[in-house]
Amino acid sequence: MIDVKNDLINDLGLEEGFMTPALEKLLESNSKYLKDLRINLKNVLTSEYLSEKETALIALAVAVNNQNKPLESSFSNLAKEKGATVDEIGETVACASLLSSNNIFYRFRHFVGKEKYNTLPARIKMSIMVNPILGKEFFELTSLAVSAVNGCEACVAAHEQSVLQHGSSEERVLDAIRLAAIVTSLGKVIN
Amino acid sequence: MERGILSVGQEFPKFDKTAVVSLEKGKEFKNITSEDHKKNGEWLVMFWWPKDFTFVCPTEIAEFNKAYSEFRDRDAMLIGASTDSEFVHLAWRKDHEDLRDLKFPMLADTSKSLAEELGILEANEKIAYRATFIVDPQGIVRWVSVYDLNVGRNVKEVIRVLDALQTDELCPCNWQKGEATIEV
Repeated sequence: MIDVKNDLINDLGLEEGFMTPALEKLLESNSKYLKDLRINLKNVLTSEYLSEKETALIALAVAVNNQNKPLESSFSNLAKEKGATVDEIGETVACASLLSSNNIFYRFRHFVGKEKYNTLPARIKMSIMVNPILGKEFFELTSLAVSAVNGCEACVAAHEQSVLQHGSSEERVLDAIRLAAIVTSLGKVIN
Repeated sequence: MERGILSVGQEFPKFDKTAVVSLEKGKEFKNITSEDHKKNGEWLVMFWWPKDFTFVCPTEIAEFNKAYSEFRDRDAMLIGASTDSEFVHLAWRKDHEDLRDLKFPMLADTSKSLAEELGILEANEKIAYRATFIVDPQGIVRWVSVYDLNVGRNVKEVIRVLDALQTDELCPCNWQKGEATIEV
């Protein structure tokens, strides 16, 4: 199983010998899960409906949202390698950060369901949403993926509708969600 | 009458053949049998090429080699095979840069008995077509593809099929109203 671990570390471009307590436990027990994890990661990074640059950027957004340093550096390098510009990478980081505030805020409104909270102004600055350099559809798709990770029902429902209105497809949406799910699971072991 | 190509649902024939597994002196050869993958509960992916020392072959074999870890992660034993002898295989591996660090065995079906049983022998030259077999841990053929002599294969497609054949969505989260419960 050490081969699988080394290959996984290598796939992620992390330093040879990279180790975490969780990884150690999987290795000690010779857990087959490492194989599944590596297959899942490879599969979500190459999608029929998302380009490799897009998968790298969404993975980066999720890593930033999850405050995962090794994965953040790994996916930002991957995004660069796949042609993402410094500005696009910056926008992705901004998107992840902004969405985590929105997810908390709108989730609260949704949880409580009191009309008064809906009428009081949000007063959260969201200017980066107006004219994203990555395009509205992709910005929405990234927002949707981050919202799914953070578990805000109102945000997920709203962004899912919006992303489809901007010309996306259900296939693209589900690939982005699967990617967010796998990057999050990866982060439980690589952190 | 010629034998038809072995197909989905049929049992993969028994075999016990010599394969080249290394370039290290004294460790070059190893016997490989149809039981090896079953013992380990693994799948078997066996791909054939017509002749050693030809053009399309090394590219293709190198592609399979690059994807070696993909097959390993899917618990699949990868074997390359042709009707050349183990000595020809060894000479070819020594001769060709792309073949030196092969991670999977090159099976020598020198008697052509396995290719014959699989129904993949080309009529004139009695060499194997570019056939690929995916066999489950019980020894049943689950997928076959056969290409004409000069057509190269797509390794990604083989991995995609393997993924599709191997069960996923075992999680009860996927349970939908009206469905039987999932038993793993």
